[in-house]
Amino acid sequence: MEVINHFSKNKYQSLLKPKSVGFTVFFILCSIFYYIILQQYQIAQKAKNDEMYKTLETIRQNIDQSLKNNYTTALSLALTINDKGVPENFDEIGKQLLASNNNIDAVQLVPNGIISHIYPLKGNEAAIGLNILTSKKHQYEASQSIKNSKMYFAGPLALKQGGLGIVGRMPVYKNNKFWGFSAVVIRLNTLLRNSGINNIDSSKYYFQLSKINPITQKELFFLPIDKNLSKNSSVTTVIPDGDWKLYLTDKKPHEFYLFLFSLGFFGILLAALIAFVTTNFLKKPAELEDLLEKQTAKLLKNEIKFKSVFDQAAVGITYVDTVTGQLLEANKKYCDLLGYTEQEIKQKTIQSIIHPDDLNESFSNLEKLRKGIIREYTTERKHITKSNEPIWIKLTISPLWENNESPTNHIAIVENITKRKLAEEAIVNSQKRIESLINTVDGIVWECDAKTLEFTFVSKKVENILGYTAQEWMSSPTFWTDHIYEKDKNFALEFCAEQTTKKLNHDFEYRMIAKDGSIVWLRDIVNVIIEDDEVKTLRGIMIDVTKNKEIEKDLNNSFNLVSEQNKRLLNFSYIVSHNLRSHTSNITSIVDLITNSDSEEEKEEMVQLLKSVSDSLNETMLNLNEVVNIQTNVALTTENLNLKQYIDNALSILSDQIALKGIQVISSVESDIEVNYNPAYLESILYNLISNAIRYSHQERHPTIHIDTYKEAKKTVLKISDNGIGIDLKRNGHKIFGMYKKFSTHKDSKGIGLFITKNQIDAMGGNITVESEPNLGTTFKVYIS
Amino acid sequence: MKEKTIWVIDDDPIYQIIMKKIILKSGLFSSIRSFQNGKEAITALKDLISGNDSFPNIILLDIEMPILDGWGFMDEIAILKSRMNTEIQIYISSSSIAIEDRERAKNNNSILGYMCKPISLDDLTKIASAY
Repeated sequence: MEVINHFSKNKYQSLLKPKSVGFTVFFILCSIFYYIILQQYQIAQKAKNDEMYKTLETIRQNIDQSLKNNYTTALSLALTINDKGVPENFDEIGKQLLASNNNIDAVQLVPNGIISHIYPLKGNEAAIGLNILTSKKHQYEASQSIKNSKMYFAGPLALKQGGLGIVGRMPVYKNNKFWGFSAVVIRLNTLLRNSGINNIDSSKYYFQLSKINPITQKELFFLPIDKNLSKNSSVTTVIPDGDWKLYLTDKKPHEFYLFLFSLGFFGILLAALIAFVTTNFLKKPAELEDLLEKQTAKLLKNEIKFKSVFDQAAVGITYVDTVTGQLLEANKKYCDLLGYTEQEIKQKTIQSIIHPDDLNESFSNLEKLRKGIIREYTTERKHITKSNEPIWIKLTISPLWENNESPTNHIAIVENITKRKLAEEAIVNSQKRIESLINTVDGIVWECDAKTLEFTFVSKKVENILGYTAQEWMSSPTFWTDHIYEKDKNFALEFCAEQTTKKLNHDFEYRMIAKDGSIVWLRDIVNVIIEDDEVKTLRGIMIDVTKNKEIEKDLNNSFNLVSEQNKRLLNFSYIVSHNLRSHTSNITSIVDLITNSDSEEEKEEMVQLLKSVSDSLNETMLNLNEVVNIQTNVALTTENLNLKQYIDNALSILSDQIALKGIQVISSVESDIEVNYNPAYLESILYNLISNAIRYSHQERHPTIHIDTYKEAKKTVLKISDNGIGIDLKRNGHKIFGMYKKFSTHKDSKGIGLFITKNQIDAMGGNITVESEPNLGTTFKVYIS
Repeated sequence: MKEKTIWVIDDDPIYQIIMKKIILKSGLFSSIRSFQNGKEAITALKDLISGNDSFPNIILLDIEMPILDGWGFMDEIAILKSRMNTEIQIYISSSSIAIEDRERAKNNNSILGYMCKPISLDDLTKIASAY
């Protein structure tokens, strides 16, 4: 993938720096404002000047007018001079002139330059007689009048009569000959007053009057001088009649400055404001530009980062044309994964690298993606590498178009999971193997929670052994407990709980109820699984031991039988060792005695003794024969016999003895009781037991024999009790049914009856018990199955 | 030689007769008494104790007997022992060849020997001389 910098910096370089633009704007505006202010100032200044000129002109005209009037006055005065050159009616005319021209302070006639007449004379006397043509002070100006033959106003000068005054001298010619001067004296103040300068706004303007001193050539100012005033702010005009220069000076030449300053200030402020706004206005794009630049840099950085992530990623990444399936870009990892080069991979479509098994799935998912049914998906599928080997990949597809757009490209992230898949496969295989192994085990393999006894696993074998399915078992949390055979439940639960508490593996046997209701013996071998020092789980195997149990039972029966037979055999050995040997040893002794006998008599005695030994031996042999018969009689015939009938028969045989001893026999045996027995044995048993009871009856009390039957555990029990002498069972109990065991010195006691009786009963599959107390009586119970 | 007394405790009457003959013939004993079972012998012993008579020197004891057998007799005599001033030499004489009987006799200190029937003259001589 190429990193494309979508952003061109040059575009933005044409943009001016907002600050410089701001400054430029500021300066331009300042210039404009300056120009405007300047214009304003100049206009105002010109207006002011014009006004000043106008004012000054008015003054000049007024002065001019006054001077003209003075000229008339001087001319009128000159007319007083008669042809002789002597003034006539000077005072009179002087008076009239003064009255008609209030500008004039005084009038003079100066013949030949000497002041001769003055009106009013009063106050001006000092001037009489002054020769102005010779007086330095007046000489120049006086000569000017003569020179120009024109009235000339001298001064201002200090008047003899005090104050400043102007003297207008008109040269008077009489008969074309200079006569003298007709002069008017004007007080400066009066002149100025009449000129209207007093009407000038003295707050604004300052009026000044100057004249170049003809002698010193210096400009003299006649009004008080305000030094602060500059000539620059003045307008001037010249009155040629007196060579005067008039000034009108602006008292406040700077009066616009404040206004200009404020205007300038506001201008600057405005300019600054506009510049600021402009700057800010320009700054926005600049800031945006800056931001853009930063973002671009960031973007670029990210792109580089992503590019490197893309290239260096530990997973394969590819861009795919969603419509055609063409691979557009792929990172190195992706290429490596499939074994293609980057160039080769771009020639591939996604369809060409998907394993045929997964093509349909791929198509359907891509279709959904295109239609927008799904936005992205993750799947595991197989790809085909360049070397045509299948690999397992984990694929995550994310589209690169928005929801409402038509499909363009998508990104596919691919991870090689072949190893995991193989491992998973191996695990699955191994699980299958274990499962199949578990199911081949000829027992129910199981697992349950140690506390709740709720089963978490039961192998399929449960169906064969108990008929329930594993599902049935697992569906109930208390299935196991519920299906233990009632009689074994307490033991099984207690034992299991006890062993579990001790954290001991255990092995026990109990019965369970199978689905068909039958009872199944199970041997349960339990492993206690300890986690964190606590028993969490129990695991084990239940083995069907029903057959074993049956065998065991048979074995036990066999064992009991064998033991019994062994016991009998032992008895036989005793019979041989004791009974037969006692006889043979007697015989030996007797024969010895016979051999060593001293007399015939003694020999005869011994032979008789030998005979009795021989009889005893014979009897013993008969008894043994009988016993052997019982023992060896395997195919013993049995038939249904009426018990009462046989009892009655035995009692009738023994009736003589019963009568002899006065014994009361009480038989409560029902007449309908039948037993399946060998007739001879039943006869013998009844005879033996009843005769025993008779034989050992107690002499000192009324002997009674009770014969009774009852049912116990499906067996008929025949009970024969007496109140006879009894037997000390503590001493003799173990040998009461032994051969030749006698418990009394009774003469009929042979110690064979009970032995034979027991053998007969055993042979019929029953048993006999005895209860006895010495001197109280004996009870025999015969169990007939 | 001092006169010795011997008791034979056995339920076999023929054996009793034979023993009497042999004992008489041997001339080793001055007197002989017979008992059919252990109980009778114990009763006789008790009589001797109360009569302050002299006890027998030797007893030949059978094992298998009614009422009180040989072993029962041994239990009873053990109780009486403290009241007897002399030691009685007790020998088992039985036709039993059962090993457990021999063992039981061997383990009882009061039994001096186990003799299998028949008892010969030599046997009597041996036990008499051992006395």
